[in-house]
Amino acid sequence: MLKNVGIVGFGAYLPRNRIKISEIASTWGKKAKDLESALCVQEKTVADFDEDAVTMAVEAGENAISMFGISPEQIEAIYVGSESHPYAVNPSATIIAEALGFDSDYMALDLEFACKAGTGGMQNIAALLEAKIINYGMVIGTDSAQAKPHDILEYTASSGAASFILGSKKEDFLVQLIDFVSYSSDTPDFWRRDGVSYPSHQGRFTGEPAYFTHVIGATHALFKKSKTQASDFDYAVFHMPNGKFPKEAGKRLGFKDKQLEPGLVVSEIGNPYSASSLLGFINLLEQINGEKLILVTSYGSGAGSDSFIFKTTKKLKSARNLKSFKFYLNRKRYISYSTFLKFSKRI
Amino acid sequence: MSISPVKIWRHQKIISSLLKRKGKIISWTIVRTPPAGYEQEAPYPVVLVKLDDGLRFVGQLVDWEEKDLKFGKKVEAVYRRIIKPDPEGIIPYGIKFRPL
Amino acid sequence: MKPFVIGVGVTKFGELWDISPRNLVKEAVTQALADSGITISEIDAVFVGNMLSGVLGNQENLGALYNDELGLKGVPAFKIEGACASGGLAFHNALNSILANKYKTCLVIGVEKMTDHKPEEITNALMAAAHEEERTAGLTFPGLYAILARAYCKKYKITEKDLASVSVESHYHAALNPKAQFPFKVTLKQVMESNYIADPLKLLECSPISDGAAALIVAGFDGKKMKRGVEVIASEVATDSLGLSGRNDLTTLKSTVLAAKKAYEQAKIVPSDVDVAEVHDCFSIAQVLALEDLGFFKKGTSLKEVIKGKIRLGSGAPVVNPSGGLKACGHPIGASGVKQIVEITIQLRGEAGKRQVEGAKIGLTHNVGGSGAIAIVNLLKI
Repeated sequence: MLKNVGIVGFGAYLPRNRIKISEIASTWGKKAKDLESALCVQEKTVADFDEDAVTMAVEAGENAISMFGISPEQIEAIYVGSESHPYAVNPSATIIAEALGFDSDYMALDLEFACKAGTGGMQNIAALLEAKIINYGMVIGTDSAQAKPHDILEYTASSGAASFILGSKKEDFLVQLIDFVSYSSDTPDFWRRDGVSYPSHQGRFTGEPAYFTHVIGATHALFKKSKTQASDFDYAVFHMPNGKFPKEAGKRLGFKDKQLEPGLVVSEIGNPYSASSLLGFINLLEQINGEKLILVTSYGSGAGSDSFIFKTTKKLKSARNLKSFKFYLNRKRYISYSTFLKFSKRI
Repeated sequence: MSISPVKIWRHQKIISSLLKRKGKIISWTIVRTPPAGYEQEAPYPVVLVKLDDGLRFVGQLVDWEEKDLKFGKKVEAVYRRIIKPDPEGIIPYGIKFRPL
Repeated sequence: MKPFVIGVGVTKFGELWDISPRNLVKEAVTQALADSGITISEIDAVFVGNMLSGVLGNQENLGALYNDELGLKGVPAFKIEGACASGGLAFHNALNSILANKYKTCLVIGVEKMTDHKPEEITNALMAAAHEEERTAGLTFPGLYAILARAYCKKYKITEKDLASVSVESHYHAALNPKAQFPFKVTLKQVMESNYIADPLKLLECSPISDGAAALIVAGFDGKKMKRGVEVIASEVATDSLGLSGRNDLTTLKSTVLAAKKAYEQAKIVPSDVDVAEVHDCFSIAQVLALEDLGFFKKGTSLKEVIKGKIRLGSGAPVVNPSGGLKACGHPIGASGVKQIVEITIQLRGEAGKRQVEGAKIGLTHNVGGSGAIAIVNLLKI
């Protein structure tokens, strides 16, 4: 159990562009209805020609900073998780920190672990706070995900960013971080070699042995460690590679539909990889108040899951972002497949 | 197009002071025959903005619609990639404007 | 000591694929020398106006280069650069050296070779005349002037159709100039139907990419009037902010206003004394601003006058851009400012043939660099 870690500010970012599953399907001569129901996704976000994991992270980070009202020079660590860092060598973290106005007294790191790079960063910031090495740390999960044309991932790989500022002073907490565990193994379900534009995956192998084994494995481990079960929680958020997997995982873990509902954002935004579970979490936080117990389990291919127990505080009610997740969700412009092609491949 | 990393570095130091500043459009154009490096983005609007503190600035307009191109339209400064550099170059980030 | 233009030469302007910059200059200078009656050995100094030799062709040191080409050994030579005003500024510097009694007879060359390069590269290179912020924003020169056009049209309630009328006038004159890049008329309909380059400016409102060269022999004389020599009675330069974000008023080019004011004062004349003028019409709006900033028409009214024929051969007062201007004669950047002097000299001598402005006594040239960052106004008299 942690004593000194809580979320003191958070912010999201989604690009304006949306492409409908039906638009992609018609390009490839597939039946839209079949895909929409198989994936439980209607449309996804698409980064514009001049957006990438860094630019989106900057705006999400700005939103988190303005929610908490902190001066950026006070943030002592920034960990940025992505699988589409613009550089193979050159940290996104310092580019983002500089744009946000940090001075020089901060630790910075880029992380990669497929879709759980962001939550992995959160565990590490939490450790620094718990050990009282820092007072405030920022973690960002951001991705401008690419997928091979015609591949099934093309329907879901999307773009977005989520930023959290964590602190150690109880009076600042909007959400307290109670505990976390991880479940890891060497499972090659989805990967991308250096220099290659698009990821590869092993089809149905990404289901049971990959997503389900780790998400359920991590959550069970956390239940055992904290002596809790699904019914103790008010809500649960899972990583969303599509609309079916998180619902199935939730069901198997004993969660009911209404516990899962507010955390499910994939149908409208697709899967923004490192930002997926974190954006589902933000969407949930913007809708609730009072003291609620929340379970969040991410998943990163390769593979691993990070599972967290959060408890919201009464202070959450007063926390507002001018640019909330909902603001970005409702800000839409539909694009055609040809425009989508113009914008993508801009890693 | 390969831009000097040192130039980009000097430039990036001013960005954080301009981010989130708001202003109004005082004139604009839509560039249809772009210079080298900007081909894939055209056509794009470029606006002359008067920031709330009186400073004037020229920048591309992003996330826009036809109806945003008018005198006095409120905009805010956002962080975007300026151009796609050559495969080995440093990526230049900078300020563009977005309608409020 | 009074400076006189005593010899002029100019090549055809256009896409001159097979003529190198060296040969362009040789052609213009040979004409100018023949026209002046002097030999090349009498040249005391050479002033070269050019903008893009380095940016596009990786060649600088043009003073020495053209001396080499022309066989001028040991003679002082200079490259003068001020974006599109390079030619005019080269002329200005030659004049200053004559007025200072440093050099008596100067050769002024304006030259530009643009068509060796791709359009996007040229568009990019021309932006070297602008502010860094404008390049970062992905602006082009048409874009810069389009921003001015939009502000002007809003303030004075001008339509795109009104603005397009200046191109019609430029082409009317160019049709009479065998050296022009586009020696043919265009209709208002054609201008309006041409594609947008940077809204609201259309293709036929923009000066083209051109190659060309022009040359002048300028000499200082005490007292006696030179036969066929045209006296330079004023040459003034002024600057304004490099970029548009530094301008307080987007509907005027202060650099033009200031340079013109100083020039009229120096020559002790007023705008209505000018019979013929070559103004900087890189874009339709540039010409409109020039007509007003030079004092020919009141602010916001010049297009009304243009449509009435008030700048056209036969009815104009003054007649503007009898060469066809930058728009229709062509705009090899460094050459334009020098060509303007060539044209005015020919006009004042009465040697302009079909495009002669009857009884022209006083002429004006106006050359601008960038989006108004620098301007030069010259006044000449026969």
